[in-house]
Amino acid sequence: MTEALGRIVATERKPNTPHEFHFWTAIDSPVGIGTIVRVDGANPMDGQIPHIYGIVVEGFSYTDLQSPMHDVLGHDGLPTMASYSVTERAEIRLYTAAVLRQIPEEPLQPVPMGQVFLAEEADVQVALRMDSYLREGANTGIPIGVYRAGGTEAVIYLDADFLLGPEAAHLNITGVSGLATKTSAVEWLLASMFRHFPEDKGSIAAVCFNVKGPDLCYLDQPGKLEKSDEALYEKLDVEPKPFQKVEYFAPYNAKGLALNTFRNNEALLDNVTPLTWGLREVLQFAEVLLNRDDIDAKADALIDFIVQNVVDKEFSDPLLSKKHTVQSFADLDAWFRDVLRGMEQKDGESWRTHHVATIRKMRNRLSNISTRCAGLVTDSGAVSDLPFGSFEDRTVYVVDVANLEEDAQDLIFARIVSKLREHLERRDLGVKHLVVFVDELNKYAPGDGPDTYVRKMLLDIAERGRYLGLVLFSAQQFRSQVHRRVVGNSGTSLFGRMDPDELSTPGYAVLSPATRTKLATLEKGQLMIRHPHFTQPIFVRFPRPAVMQGREGSERYPQAGDVSLDAAILRALRPLDPAITLPWVQEITALFTQEEVIRARNATLLARPENVKAYFSAQFRKIIPAQPATRPMAASIKSAPENDPYGF
Amino acid sequence: MLVSSSSPDSASRAAIRLLKEWLPGASAVEGSGDLELSSRADQPQLISAEIVEGKTLRAVRVPDVTRTMISGFGAFLDGTQKVRLIGRHFGVPIVLGTTSAAVRVRVNRRLVTWGHQPPRLEQKLYLPLKYLPPLTEALGAGSQRKYGQFQVVDTSIPDASGAYPSEHPTVLLERAIRAVDRQRDALEDELAEAWCARGEAPLFIDGSITRSPHAAASANAIGVIKSHFTLYVEGEALRTVVGLAKGERSSVFQVTPKSRSAVMSWYLRQRDPEGHDVLWGLVRVEMSRCDNPTERADEISRWVLAETSPLALPDGRWDKMSYGIRDAEEFLRAIS
Repeated sequence: MTEALGRIVATERKPNTPHEFHFWTAIDSPVGIGTIVRVDGANPMDGQIPHIYGIVVEGFSYTDLQSPMHDVLGHDGLPTMASYSVTERAEIRLYTAAVLRQIPEEPLQPVPMGQVFLAEEADVQVALRMDSYLREGANTGIPIGVYRAGGTEAVIYLDADFLLGPEAAHLNITGVSGLATKTSAVEWLLASMFRHFPEDKGSIAAVCFNVKGPDLCYLDQPGKLEKSDEALYEKLDVEPKPFQKVEYFAPYNAKGLALNTFRNNEALLDNVTPLTWGLREVLQFAEVLLNRDDIDAKADALIDFIVQNVVDKEFSDPLLSKKHTVQSFADLDAWFRDVLRGMEQKDGESWRTHHVATIRKMRNRLSNISTRCAGLVTDSGAVSDLPFGSFEDRTVYVVDVANLEEDAQDLIFARIVSKLREHLERRDLGVKHLVVFVDELNKYAPGDGPDTYVRKMLLDIAERGRYLGLVLFSAQQFRSQVHRRVVGNSGTSLFGRMDPDELSTPGYAVLSPATRTKLATLEKGQLMIRHPHFTQPIFVRFPRPAVMQGREGSERYPQAGDVSLDAAILRALRPLDPAITLPWVQEITALFTQEEVIRARNATLLARPENVKAYFSAQFRKIIPAQPATRPMAASIKSAPENDPYGF
Repeated sequence: MLVSSSSPDSASRAAIRLLKEWLPGASAVEGSGDLELSSRADQPQLISAEIVEGKTLRAVRVPDVTRTMISGFGAFLDGTQKVRLIGRHFGVPIVLGTTSAAVRVRVNRRLVTWGHQPPRLEQKLYLPLKYLPPLTEALGAGSQRKYGQFQVVDTSIPDASGAYPSEHPTVLLERAIRAVDRQRDALEDELAEAWCARGEAPLFIDGSITRSPHAAASANAIGVIKSHFTLYVEGEALRTVVGLAKGERSSVFQVTPKSRSAVMSWYLRQRDPEGHDVLWGLVRVEMSRCDNPTERADEISRWVLAETSPLALPDGRWDKMSYGIRDAEEFLRAIS
């Protein structure tokens, strides 16, 4: 048994309560803010010595000096003289601890007098109620980090039932930018979850939206780890390796030549899939791209009409000049023009209950989408999407939207999450549990501002996702500015180093001043955790993710710049068939338009055929090579025919 | 020596409950503070002493006094007492005396309790047994008479001439207070002798070292006296002492109290008396007799001056008190 490091004290002015107690320690004790301690009561209750577990939330230090002026006088006003005093003043280290747990739990009484011990690993498990889910038969612990104090080093586990449902779910991370906390913590936690999520609870995967920078773009590449990180990995029983299964998705850039992602270096393209949607996919979520003024009942009805009756169908109407089969935005625009022409000729104000003004407005708005979301939306209608229905266990799907316009980001987010939700409801996504990671929640789910489609979706996940197995991992810099229902529904909250202004907001008033100060000065790799089982926030240290960091990745694998059409085709196809060469591409595509070449490329990438060359070549229309004219020469007349009236 | 004042404590209540069982006529005294002697048997006095450093008493500037000088003291000894009138039995005072003493050792510039001898703490009932109903049955026999959890000290024993003290309540009360004083002195002497026997380092003792022959003869016991009820100077020597400037000491003289051990002593001004009483910052230092009083007095004076920092504030005697002694008193206040 270890030696006591403190003694409980209570005075009339500072009494102990069932939720808080005070103790003093030696000057050199290893106690600090966040240290977990155990109090052994002096008197048994019902034959059991009470044990109280607490976490230090405040510290005080003072001497027997009654007035600072006495110290000034004592050293003749010279601070340097203080170091020559033969004796140091009596000094106290007095700490306030918040109760984590009392055993026995009933009756709940004020903390009794007793000795205070540094909590050992077993104590930490009891104090944080981790014993309930680490026991044999439960085993739902997901290591989140290591708690350290004095000589104690204890693994802190989150309860999978409270992190991924069904009891509670969702996780929210707050921290200032640039300290490798938010993204690193999520990367580490995903690795830990993939290693420790119980097999009997089913499969799990993650969809991460990379909304800024290259941080999530190298999850399958090994990163640099220090010895201390490796020791943490060993302690936490997670292999220090990058993710084994990662799939990337990114739309093309506006020209359609290269993928619009930081990860478009040719060496990394083998697991990058283009993300392209056609008219049908976009129209389902047109609401995302249209502002509140655009969307009214009439507009909604017209869109619904188009989706139900026009898109991908042969559409004819007496008003129209011809039959239309609308498969792309170009087709849709032609259809609109024909409708409006017919209405003008007829001089009618409405067609099929839709007013001409509504039709004009929707034409204007919808036609604009292909421009605003160029690279994502294809005129051809070709669809390259996430593998909904065949998601694989322990796989990370990264959707890189970092370089896209806000509209396109919103559209991607809304559609993917909706599809995920649909599949999870039908239980046919491919995995039972899915984590969706979204950074920059300040932008996507702000506490104030318009009620956007994306915010509504985030609220929906936060409030109902856990019943489906859809779990939101979200991150932001300012938690106070995120919608309360999003953060409020997060069962688990992580806090990295915090901005002092943020800490001064009312949401942090429950934390002691010392805890807030510690939060404002946390080092890289340190987190404060709130979890349903923990009655007080806990500080832990987590290892650096074993994946390549964004900065290193972008230096080692520079983003490809603008290239020619031929080079872009070569770059896209060579991961499928390394034998493809630039001259071959040039030869095949020489006679075709850029649009045709891109369409062929997209079809090939979507099909991923065994014979890439043959498939790619087959996408082009037959063109008969020009040949020299071979008109047969008429035989020369040697003599005029007889009896020719016109003959000479 | 500290005489503290505090509200009734659990020990007082326990003692009066016990006495009420054995002395049905006893009544509790509520709200009694700690008591001090209302008068002293002797008057403030001047006594001439034998000068052992030179012919006449003179002011000597302590050499090598700097801001960075170090102290040779390794520990501090002090004792405290609390005297409380807890009850009366038809006018006869019933006194609970608490005495304590401790040595605080300096380790890495911080003071901790000496490990070789635990601090002393005693609580005794001081009763004039002659004027109380017989308690023999309860007390038992012998010198270690106990009454419940408390030892009993008889304050009505006759003096050397065989005369019993008057039954006057004030006389009996003063007898009890003097008995508590003696008890505290005994505890201090016990610890001082134990320290000197180990001979580890010089001990800063709050008060005189003449009571204990062992302490008075030890080079490791240094007494520092803050009260000057008796001044060992007369005439011109007195003017020299009251005129000492900060950092000056008097010549060394020899103190030979009646029925106590002889020691060497000198006055030392710790703080500038300008604007204060003439005894402001003035202490008298005692050490065992030696062959080189000048060097020894200079050295010890430097140590005592070094101990003036940090200040002993907020204690009212901070001008004369060293911080180590204040620490010992605070320690004893906490445990008693």
